[in-house]
Amino acid sequence: MTLQHYLVISAILFSLGIFAVLTRKNAISILMGIELILNSCNLNFVAFSRFVSIPDNPNNIDGQIIAIFGIVLAAAEAAVFLAIILAIYREFGSIRPDEVDTLKG
Amino acid sequence: MVVPLISIILLAPLVAFAIFALSGIAKRTFPRQDLLSTAAMLIALICSFILLRDVVPEPEPLAVDWISIGEITISMGFYLDSVTVIMLIVVTLVSSLVHIFSIGYMHGDPRYPRFFAYLSLFSFSMLFLVVSDNLLGIYIGWELVGLCSYLLIGFWFEKNSAANACKKAFLTTRVGDIGMFIGMMMLFTKFKTFSLFDGAQDGIFTRAAAELATGDIVWLSIAGILIFCGAIGKSAQVPLHTWLPDAMEGPTPVSALIHAATMVAAGVYLTARMFPILTFPSSLVIAYVGGITAIVAATIAIVRFDIKRVLAYSTVSQLGYMMLAIGAGSYVAGLFHLTTHAFFKALLFLGSGSVIHAFHAMHSHSQHTHGHDEAHADDEAHEHDDLSLVHENLVHEHGSEIPPDQDMRNMGGLRQKMPITFITMLIATLSISGVPFIFSGFWSKDKILAGVLGRAMEWNSIHHYILFGLALCAAFITAFYMFRLIFMTFFGEPRNKEMHNMAHESPWVMAAPLIILAVLSFPVVNTIWFNKDYVIPPKQPHLHAPQHASVSPDTKTGDAKFGFSFFGVSEAQAADEVGGKNGEKADAAYYIYKRAHNIAMALSIFVAGLGILLSWLFYHRRRFSAESVATTFRPVYNLFWHKYYFDEFYDGVLVALTVWKSRLFARFDLSVIDGIVNGVGFATRRVFAAIIGYFDRRVVDGIVNRVAEVTWAAGGRIRRIQTGAIQTYLFVVIGGIVLIILIFRAL
Repeated sequence: MTLQHYLVISAILFSLGIFAVLTRKNAISILMGIELILNSCNLNFVAFSRFVSIPDNPNNIDGQIIAIFGIVLAAAEAAVFLAIILAIYREFGSIRPDEVDTLKG
Repeated sequence: MVVPLISIILLAPLVAFAIFALSGIAKRTFPRQDLLSTAAMLIALICSFILLRDVVPEPEPLAVDWISIGEITISMGFYLDSVTVIMLIVVTLVSSLVHIFSIGYMHGDPRYPRFFAYLSLFSFSMLFLVVSDNLLGIYIGWELVGLCSYLLIGFWFEKNSAANACKKAFLTTRVGDIGMFIGMMMLFTKFKTFSLFDGAQDGIFTRAAAELATGDIVWLSIAGILIFCGAIGKSAQVPLHTWLPDAMEGPTPVSALIHAATMVAAGVYLTARMFPILTFPSSLVIAYVGGITAIVAATIAIVRFDIKRVLAYSTVSQLGYMMLAIGAGSYVAGLFHLTTHAFFKALLFLGSGSVIHAFHAMHSHSQHTHGHDEAHADDEAHEHDDLSLVHENLVHEHGSEIPPDQDMRNMGGLRQKMPITFITMLIATLSISGVPFIFSGFWSKDKILAGVLGRAMEWNSIHHYILFGLALCAAFITAFYMFRLIFMTFFGEPRNKEMHNMAHESPWVMAAPLIILAVLSFPVVNTIWFNKDYVIPPKQPHLHAPQHASVSPDTKTGDAKFGFSFFGVSEAQAADEVGGKNGEKADAAYYIYKRAHNIAMALSIFVAGLGILLSWLFYHRRRFSAESVATTFRPVYNLFWHKYYFDEFYDGVLVALTVWKSRLFARFDLSVIDGIVNGVGFATRRVFAAIIGYFDRRVVDGIVNRVAEVTWAAGGRIRRIQTGAIQTYLFVVIGGIVLIILIFRAL
């Protein structure tokens, strides 16, 4: 298992996340896509932390700490996102993003 | 000691005026303005007499720097030589007496306090003019006295004639003043100073003597003549003399003070002050103007019936005499005549005021209104009755009405009614007529005649012989018309019984000044100054005698003073004065002047006697009839009666020309200027406005509208990008990022 493997997995996850965000017609699915993107990032951080050593400080685990922050952030983001979706649903009676287009010019 | 005295002399009348002027703020007049003004004048008079002690022949001017512009410094200051002090005393003395006289004469006038305030302002201005050491100061005083003259001539401005007369006086003198100003500025441009005398820096006279070569005589002559123009206006010389007789519309004390004794003499004073820069041509112009004025005014005076007009023309004539003297180089004689004339002419005017006042009682009893001369303006009809009684069949009606109380044809036989007025006026008349030896007028007039004849003989100059002839004729006519006045007023039968019965002697406040002036008409006071070498004539470095002069020009300063051997001037002394070192020349000049003086004195006594005799025959004994003579020499009479047609000339030519010119300009204004303005307006409105409007609508509006349309259309298209679908935006963002990455990879 080399760094490339992790990066390829991470890239696949990122692309799947982007694809979900761009194409899904359900806001919940979009949220799931965003979670995929965040997780691909976390994976990157951990992978770099594990395989790339900094000459001054070989025991550096900053990347792994940031990954933990990222997970916490994802949890908080999911809470806020779901709250927004609830508010949107109350306002428009739908959670399809293409129907929420009051900013249309 | 000099500075405080001068300050008091100048400030006392100014303060008296200022108190009146400030009464407007206090909303109430000072209760006794008359006493205040009179007291101020008396203080000035006393200070003037004290100043006599401090006078030195050629003093330093007391000057301070006033304005500094670059290298030019204009100073203001006083110059106190003997001439100044004599003028100070003459002005303050006559002014004081006129103030006292006015207390009686102006009593009951509605603007009584204002009259005295004006008199104070006048006195200040005149004194300022006299003591100034520079042309600018003199000019300031000069215009101030002009203003006061204007205010006082128009004092009874309700009368149309007075309102017109004051305007005429102001405008006529202004004509001369323009000349004076130009002359003044000529000297200033050349010499960079207004100061006449040497003080901290050299004055005009020194600079002129130092800088001007003989070739510049023409330039200096023009400057001198231009400055003399001011004197022509102010001293009422031909051809600007017409305002002075009209100025008699003012109250009589004003006529005495301003239009006889002091202000009109300012012109003579100015000319005397400019004496050192007079050249031969400018002297000759001055002398001729003076001589012609003397004779023209005297001949007009013969046929006047208004007592004040006779005196006015007499004043003009005597002022001409003074100018003639100064023009002929008789500096001392001119100023001497100025002082003697101031006293006896003020006396004559005040005497005539006394007569008018006496006649006036009638009017003021019946309708105790205000001003004297004003009352008769009220009832025109009455006036016409009075006139028609005595008018007989005169050759010509006078253009302007003579007020009945000033008409000598209403007088006569006032001798017993008004003894003080009669005696004092007789003394003044004897003095002005040149009755020998005991009257001051004889000495001053004789000095002028002698000076002119002496100059004629010295230079063998035909001009001065002619001038002497003019002066002699004027002396003869003066004696004639002055006694005509006395005979018509005080002798014979009363011609208007009603008025005669009302006449009375004036109160003491009016009689006292008459008596004091009568004393001054004897040579006791004034002659002494001139014979003790009190006044020394300045040198005239620019005056060059004509080639054919029989005596060297070195002796040109010779004034006619040597004739006065009776007054104790020894021959040697006189010779010293005349010739300086060169005894031979001095003797020659001395004997010429002595001979001239003897001839002149004999002739002047002869013509004065002849004039008085003729007057006596005509107007007292009625041996000849003035009317028949007038009829015989009708053209001459008409010429005199119409005052040589000066007024007609001015009305017919100058006024008409001005009006015609104004009409022309008005027409030019209406047609050309208005035409241009209207044309421009039309062109602007119809042509330019149309073009600009078209441009505005098509081009400017077009651009604005096109821009708006393009923006609108573009907006309509671009708005479609804004879908509102958040996934589209995100797609574009990601697409953009991918694109950027690809581009950077490619590079």
